[in-house]
Amino acid sequence: MIRKLIWNDIRQNKLLSVVTVVFMAISAMLLALTVVLFTNLLGAIDNLMEQAQTPDFLQMHTGEIDEEKVLQFAEQHTEIEEWQISRFLNLENGTLSLGGRSLADSTQDNGLCVQGEKFDFLLDMENEMPYVSQGKVYVPACYRALYDLSVGDIMQIGSCKLNIAGFVRDSQMNSMMSSSKRFLVSKEDYEKIREQGEEEYLIEFLLDEGADAGVLGTAYATEGLPANGPTITGPLIRMMNALSDGMMILVIFLVSIVVLLISMLCIRFILALEMERDKREVGMLKALGIGKKDIRRLYFSKYILLSVCGALTGLVAAYLLKGPLVKQMQELYGRSQGGWQTESISVMAVVLVEGIILLSIRNILKKAEKLSALEALFPMEKEEKRKGWGQYLFIAFVVAACVFLMLVPQNLYSTLSSPEFVTYMGIGDGEIRIDVRQMQDVNQTTEQITAKLENDGRIEKYTVLQTKTYLAFLKDGTKYNLTVETGNHTIFPVSYVAGKAPEQETELALSTLNAEELGLQVGDGLQLLIDNKKINYTVCGIYSDITNGGKTAKAGLPADTGDSKIVRDDTPVMWSILYVSLKPSVSREQWMEEYNSTGVKVVDIADYVAETYGQTLQEIKLASGVATGTAVVIIFVVVTLFMRLIVERNRYSVSLQKALGFTNESIKRAYMVKGLLSAGAGGFVGLLLGGILGEELCGIILHSLGAEGFQFVVAWEKVLLLIPAISLLTAAAAIWIGILEIKKVKAFECCMRKE
Amino acid sequence: MAELLKVEKLCKNQILNQVSFTMETGEMVAVMGPSGSGKSTLLYNVAGMDQPSDGKVWLNGQEITGLSEDEKADLRLHRMGFVFQQMNMMGNLNILDNILLPVVHSNKGKKENKKSKAELINEAKKLMQKLSISDLGDRSITQVSGGQLQRACICRSMMNQPEILFADEPTGALNKSAAAEVMEEFVKLNQEGTTILLVTHDSKVASRCNRILYLLDGSICGELTLHRMESGTEKLREEKVNKWLMEMGW
Repeated sequence: MIRKLIWNDIRQNKLLSVVTVVFMAISAMLLALTVVLFTNLLGAIDNLMEQAQTPDFLQMHTGEIDEEKVLQFAEQHTEIEEWQISRFLNLENGTLSLGGRSLADSTQDNGLCVQGEKFDFLLDMENEMPYVSQGKVYVPACYRALYDLSVGDIMQIGSCKLNIAGFVRDSQMNSMMSSSKRFLVSKEDYEKIREQGEEEYLIEFLLDEGADAGVLGTAYATEGLPANGPTITGPLIRMMNALSDGMMILVIFLVSIVVLLISMLCIRFILALEMERDKREVGMLKALGIGKKDIRRLYFSKYILLSVCGALTGLVAAYLLKGPLVKQMQELYGRSQGGWQTESISVMAVVLVEGIILLSIRNILKKAEKLSALEALFPMEKEEKRKGWGQYLFIAFVVAACVFLMLVPQNLYSTLSSPEFVTYMGIGDGEIRIDVRQMQDVNQTTEQITAKLENDGRIEKYTVLQTKTYLAFLKDGTKYNLTVETGNHTIFPVSYVAGKAPEQETELALSTLNAEELGLQVGDGLQLLIDNKKINYTVCGIYSDITNGGKTAKAGLPADTGDSKIVRDDTPVMWSILYVSLKPSVSREQWMEEYNSTGVKVVDIADYVAETYGQTLQEIKLASGVATGTAVVIIFVVVTLFMRLIVERNRYSVSLQKALGFTNESIKRAYMVKGLLSAGAGGFVGLLLGGILGEELCGIILHSLGAEGFQFVVAWEKVLLLIPAISLLTAAAAIWIGILEIKKVKAFECCMRKE
Repeated sequence: MAELLKVEKLCKNQILNQVSFTMETGEMVAVMGPSGSGKSTLLYNVAGMDQPSDGKVWLNGQEITGLSEDEKADLRLHRMGFVFQQMNMMGNLNILDNILLPVVHSNKGKKENKKSKAELINEAKKLMQKLSISDLGDRSITQVSGGQLQRACICRSMMNQPEILFADEPTGALNKSAAAEVMEEFVKLNQEGTTILLVTHDSKVASRCNRILYLLDGSICGELTLHRMESGTEKLREEKVNKWLMEMGW
């Protein structure tokens, strides 16, 4: 009997049932997709890092290296399972070409390496260790699509030509967010080409499970071992790997949450309508003695059936969509080992979504149970009066949620694509960046370039920042090796989570990772050992940084050490970074070409952003497009549906108006105005929510990925014009279609009303 | 005859004021009174569909006013039958399924004497035949006349063989001939032993009962006892009832 009741009900209310299933399916699909992509990404990264045996701690170094000292250090630390010194031959991008395309414009540090001896392996597309024969090269997997490469193409390094034998996944430098890329060659070719580049060392450590890489890093630094380059730990490598594709998953996750909320609202509304329509029948069942639990079961069974249909459709859709979305991930990280676990997690996500929806349905049904048989059989006048502006609230809710859905990914995209975003990542707000690294005499080269800049009339402003390592003393006496970038940090500032850039010589800003590790906040004090003197510093600001291992500091010490009023600083410079802004009329390309010829790396920050975040931005743009499309479809379907329902609920009054002489057009106009006003109000609320709540939400998630103090960079023309226009036009079209039913209502219907 | 229903000092807010009466098994009692006198309220409070503010009701010696909502629902399902003026039925089911609805539900919970679906359908069809709607089982509720639908409602109310049948204006929404047909069915059921308490404002309907209670401003202010219904006495009974109603101020 229940089966017959449910089946007949679904048959008679096909549209509402289909809409319910569609909402359930979309919610299930999106969350399943989020979970599948997320587990796939993390699983694949973990798998790759495990297969490649990624180092837990690595120190980059240029110049002389005392292997004996490193060996002694490794022997003293029992938590070190293995260690090795790998070499990286940094090549001038202008001398490189891949498949005939020059790498001169690349912002990456491209170089050669040989396969790791004990660990840190570069793996082929089957996650196996490739054998590289002479004359062959394995190219980073991320370059395959970027340069449209295939096996057999030629890589040229100066005059030397190597045949591309395949592609490799580099668990350390896979992500475009990592600034270096390693090409795998044979030992013979490496030695042959060695003269053409600058050699850099990676001092790598593989630790026992559970050992703290941070503790080892501190110990390494205090021992005074070779360390004039960035320090990188396993978690940072994992984060860099996860960040690029993680952004797309974040957008899908946001969309799935909003769609789930909209679905719940719509289904609740549909159910409330059904309950209102079936009130007399429910009253009759109660009067006949059928218990409230049984009546609830009757409705609930129907929704369980619809939910099963929605869940299955959602799962199938998620499975179909998964393929193209994981393609890029699989290219970079390989397959996840998840297998059935991933599938079962996606099933669990679908069950969770359907569970949440069913729970909300159960709550409505429980509320409806409070109605006695008599109240249901003889509805009171007061219930009829609910048909006012209240029924339009729902449209406002849906439009608000959809505008939120369109706005947040759009804002995320405009933020990530804006030049300001790099300031959240630890890079100064400049136009051009010059890196003086990986050379024997960083100081001398920096001085030469500074002198050239000083006399260059095309420059609007510039700053020289030099990085040195100092021994820091905390108040409790703890010692810590601090990588400090000295110079004027106010000319091209980064974004500060708290406090401000160092302005005085005794001020010091810390990266969030350092501030957390040292337990320091703005206003706290610490000492730096400079020229064998302990100098007092105050923490003036905290900023987020993913460059150079994320553990950095900025001090107001003048870059030109001779100018210091408090101490003479002869600490060797590890590397220098110069930020430059050109005058508006100057050709940036020409200027960069000129400075590139001095042998340093000159990068247009806009190009750097495009290359580093290009893939992420493309994915977010796609996700943002999908979110906008989904939002438009939701507004259209839901508003059409609910305007029709509103007309149906008000059939009596529409008929009465017609009987009194109102024209179709005048009645429609009134509904159109109410519908549009509610959509407009919803749109306004959505913009506010998207701006405030969306920023908070993205901030929380980006925080977990390493970017602190996040604020949206808003593309106002899209936010204030495009999104409201799309929403309102869609709503207007939907309202217009929804109220077409008014024409079909006859003037005499009000006279025949039974109630 | 044994006392089946006992109502003692029943009050419901300002609508019912200390109403007391009893009914014996096999009786057919009509409650009459002007609009707003509390007739339907009395019926729903006696039948356990509403909770009285004071007073007690016993069915076959069991006090029902103190029962929980679920216990009352169980009581209505197994021991009472209902017929409403609006002929409420499930729009998604055909006539036969609507008739079967309460009995299928009560049968589901049974551990002993559980009947098969075929047995239940057979019983429903017998009852439908008795009420002359045997060929309407497959029709939807919108494909039958008001009189036929009300007879289907009577069938449904009788499926669980209730101890008492409550009817609220059962002929109120029907035309004259349909109302007469339906009333005929009530009389037949009563003659077969079913106890019936019905609310009506139609003296013709009331004249078919054994006893009439006259309700005014929430209190019983008059009672008329008639002989058992016999064929050919309808006119006489109706005149007697009309005269009595005049006296009551109808």
